Amino acid sequence: MDPKLTEVSQLFERFKAAITRKDYDSCTELLSHLKVLLTSFRSLPPLFENTPNSIHELTLARDIYEHAVLLSVKIEDQDAFERDFFQLKPYYTDAGSRLPPSPNEYMILGLNLLRLLVQNRIAEFHTELELLSSTALENPCIKHAVELEQSFMEGAYNRVLSAKQNVPNETYGYFMDLLAKTVRDEIAGCSEKAYDYLSLKDARQMLLYTSDKELLQYIEEEHPEWEIKNGSVFFQKAKESVPCKEIPSLQLINQTLSYARELERIV
Amino acid sequence: MAATMVSSAGGLLAMLNESHPSLKLHALSNLNSFVDQFWPEISTSVPIIESLYEDEEFDQHQRQLAALLVSKVFYYLGELNDSLSYALGAGSLFDVSDDSDYVHTLLAKAIDEYASIKSKAAELNDEAANVDPRLEAIVERMLDKCITDGKYQQAMGIAIECRRLDKLEEAITRSDNIHGTLSYCINVSHSFVNRREYRREVLRLLVKVYQKLPSPDYLSICQCLMFLDEPEGVVSILEKLLRSENKDDALLAFQVAFDLVENEHQAFLLNVRDHLPVPKSLPSESTESAPAQNESTAAAEDVQMTDGTPASNANVQGTDPKEVIYAERLNKIRGILSGETSIQLTLQFLYSHNKSDLLILKTIKQSVEMRNSVCHSATIYANAIMHAGTTVDTFLRENLDWLSRATNWAKFSATAGVGLPVVAVHTQKGGALYALGLIHANHGEGIKQFLRDSLRSTTVEVIQHGACLGLGLAALGTADEDIYDDIKNVLYTDNAVAGEAAGISMGLLMVGTASEKAGEMLAYAHETQHEKIIRGLALGIALTVYGREEEADTGTANNKAIRQLLHFAVSDVSDDVRRTAVLALGFVLYSEPEQTPRIVSLLSESYNPHVRYGAALAVGISCAGTGLSEAISLLEPLTSDVVDFVRQGALIAMAMVMVQINEANDSRVGTFRRQLEKIILDKHEDTMSKMGAILASGILDAGGRNMTIKLLSKTKHDKITAVVGLAVFSQFCIQNQLLCPPATSAVKLPTAVLSTSAKAKARAKKEAEQKEKVNNEKTDAVGKGKSSSEKEGDSMQVDTPQEKKAEPEPSFELLTNPARVVPAQEKFIRFLEDSRYVPVKSAPSGFVLLRDLRPNEPEVLSLTDAPSSTQSPAGGSTTGQGSASAMAVDEEPQPPAPFEYTS
Repeated sequence: MDPKLTEVSQLFERFKAAITRKDYDSCTELLSHLKVLLTSFRSLPPLFENTPNSIHELTLARDIYEHAVLLSVKIEDQDAFERDFFQLKPYYTDAGSRLPPSPNEYMILGLNLLRLLVQNRIAEFHTELELLSSTALENPCIKHAVELEQSFMEGAYNRVLSAKQNVPNETYGYFMDLLAKTVRDEIAGCSEKAYDYLSLKDARQMLLYTSDKELLQYIEEEHPEWEIKNGSVFFQKAKESVPCKEIPSLQLINQTLSYARELERIV
Repeated sequence: MAATMVSSAGGLLAMLNESHPSLKLHALSNLNSFVDQFWPEISTSVPIIESLYEDEEFDQHQRQLAALLVSKVFYYLGELNDSLSYALGAGSLFDVSDDSDYVHTLLAKAIDEYASIKSKAAELNDEAANVDPRLEAIVERMLDKCITDGKYQQAMGIAIECRRLDKLEEAITRSDNIHGTLSYCINVSHSFVNRREYRREVLRLLVKVYQKLPSPDYLSICQCLMFLDEPEGVVSILEKLLRSENKDDALLAFQVAFDLVENEHQAFLLNVRDHLPVPKSLPSESTESAPAQNESTAAAEDVQMTDGTPASNANVQGTDPKEVIYAERLNKIRGILSGETSIQLTLQFLYSHNKSDLLILKTIKQSVEMRNSVCHSATIYANAIMHAGTTVDTFLRENLDWLSRATNWAKFSATAGVGLPVVAVHTQKGGALYALGLIHANHGEGIKQFLRDSLRSTTVEVIQHGACLGLGLAALGTADEDIYDDIKNVLYTDNAVAGEAAGISMGLLMVGTASEKAGEMLAYAHETQHEKIIRGLALGIALTVYGREEEADTGTANNKAIRQLLHFAVSDVSDDVRRTAVLALGFVLYSEPEQTPRIVSLLSESYNPHVRYGAALAVGISCAGTGLSEAISLLEPLTSDVVDFVRQGALIAMAMVMVQINEANDSRVGTFRRQLEKIILDKHEDTMSKMGAILASGILDAGGRNMTIKLLSKTKHDKITAVVGLAVFSQFCIQNQLLCPPATSAVKLPTAVLSTSAKAKARAKKEAEQKEKVNNEKTDAVGKGKSSSEKEGDSMQVDTPQEKKAEPEPSFELLTNPARVVPAQEKFIRFLEDSRYVPVKSAPSGFVLLRDLRPNEPEVLSLTDAPSSTQSPAGGSTTGQGSASAMAVDEEPQPPAPFEYTS
């Protein structure tokens, strides 16, 4: 076996061991090292050269990146998730036909959909969705994400929050928490536009909080501009509307007149 | 297994965000190779890559790679400016020799950028222009590559554009065909270098390069020097050639002289002539007598200039033979430089090939009513133009009584008109003086004094008028202070008639000098009460400034000028200004006649008759003599315009365009001729258009159908006389139509004009091969036994493939010499191969000196019938060999070179 490949495999074993130990610091370090090593393989994307070991190398690289994605969820790093996912994606899309399907594929795709939902990147969410096959859509992981999105769009926020209870995979928990916050942000944004003020009770109900304390904490963290007085929340700032711009009538008249003059002069 | 293709750059872009630098590098280099495919995806991540480029912590290579990547993305996005600036950042990674669209586009962009920076810097005289050194490096890399690849023309073009004279020189000297590259370079500098100063710099460099060559091309050098206005350089070259032992060199000198004369820059020619050093050992009186003799015998002297100045021959017996030869050659070259030789050759040719149709004139005469002075004078002009330069005065002689019916000013101009065709008929004094000026226009060394004397000695305003104009013409462009003072005196008499002439004359005199005299004239123009003087002065000032402002404009087809003029043409309120602006377009565009009809086509449909008029003349001027089909189509509707002066202008313009085009080339010529005839014969036609028609028929047959109008000489110098002539002519038309019925006073201008332009025409039209009978019978006084008789070519054959395919015509034709060749035919002309005479320069038309390869064979000379008045007995005696006009065709002509006929 290719010594480089052996080295990567051994390193990968250590990496997996570290994950099970939950030693995430050494994990990131190992992962970075692994990625550098992977760049020297010419069979990997984007070159996809046909080398004798290419299948093996591709499979290994895919494994590494799948683990990297999962690791990023565990250390709750969304950026790293995005990075790793994009690097993993070619193994699914471009090299998918050459490799045995990965058991984690749908789980990770579903995670990614969830991430997009959390980050409120709906357009990208649908783009990703379109790229999936119909069998993939049947998969519970994917289905979960799709249903969440539908509820989210309908405004059935309570269903979104209750979906947290029946996640298909324990890794989804992290994103579900985040999703709850996204939903609240959405609600808060709508309330701002819809109401001048709300009583604390109504606001609490609206934002799906169980206690006033949570609500106040949320307001303090996310919307310090809201004002709380007389047991009501006032959304003033958002109300400041920009006055209509004045039409530059004089300038327009001048312009039109000069056009007319020019026209008259034209041969 | 099928190769797997990557479908997205997403993974690589994600990798850019990795923290490990080697991962970033890996991503960058891979992205760089996939950028052609994935630039849309990458473009969203450009900020990240930019930040990589700007990150100081990265090593140089990586930053350059990032810059190259960004540059490519910007290139695909069409943001060439950003792309270029990042490509510069990429340093050596930007590979000039790469053969991709990206590199080609960016190189072009870089060179453009560099050139514009350089020329902007040059315009501001800012030596220390802050050119990005990286940009400069790229351009230099490109230049070096061009040179090493042998693409010298590209290299030269770029070097000229970028004002890199050092590189230009390198390109020229390193090219394998230096002469070819040099002449290419001259062409380029004339047609593409718009800024005068810079063009001078380029030419100066060229001269320098030329002089370094082992076998310099003196013809080209002298052309350059002429443009640079450096007579000293020409003089030293000429002297060297003349003093040479080799008679071929002397021949070359003569050829140089002829070429210079062709450009009609009188002041320059005079300078050259005066600076030619006198032979050392000759007694001074003999050298003085030589030119004097030239003057006095000017009329009698035959073209062959064979006189060899017997006086000096006698005098110098026993002196250094070299000096003798030199002295003789000097005399000849002086003759050439003063323009006399070429004038006489021209005259001979025009006379012998005069084909104008007297019947036309006769018809015109009969149809014109007696009392209508406008048409009357128009007829005379028509005659004058028709016979310009031919000295054929049959018509005038036959109709003397008719002529005498002309009154007042008409009489004056009639006489002036006579000046064109006739040398010896001086009837009316003022007109006669003017006529003299016409005859000697631009070559009037000897006549100046006479004119000045007459000017001083008279107080009759008409005579003053004539003399002023005459002087102005004779001394065209010489900027002679004395003459100027004389004319100024006339001007200060504040006499309307003479003053006007004086104003114009001053302009003619100082043409192209833009001296402070213009200010003087301007001041007087403000003072005087007479409208005429003001007009004359205005025209004069305009002429003076020509060559400064206008040098930049005329013939350059400068886009800026066109835009400005067009703007004036549509936006100004005054009819005059509009018309002049449109007219000026014609002058600006005359080097690119094809463009004019397109540009003015809209204007020609203007509601304003003045603009239409201007458009017609603009087309006429710029397309003169080309017979351009679009031009004719444009003018055709105008000839039946509702407004009479538009018709007039259109007719004249049409005639200018159609000069020398026969019916076979464009059937509309025939129609046009018939239309003219109809207009002239029609009793109810307006005077204005009738006059236009008469003039038009005159122009059509100009110079015995042997002349054309052309504003550029073959070497692309502006022909001052031609430009000025046409300018004055157009002016005339304007005044004339403004002053409608009492046009008499204004009408004298046309002759002024036409005569100058006619002379110019004569020159331009010297397509006819002129045979040089520069028969230098030189007998060495010492008698080395070898009487080296330099018999320059006398006969030459020219075969012109006819450009008609319909009839079973022979595919070529031997032209006797001299012969008329229209511009369209010019490119088909070539000398017979292995004929006896070899031309000194390669151009097939114009004045060409021939070298005799077989000097021992007897010569057969062809003589043209010179006009009897100038025919001298010397004609026969010179050669002693057959003077019949037989052509020396001793061999079977070669099969014609294959040519493609394109209709």
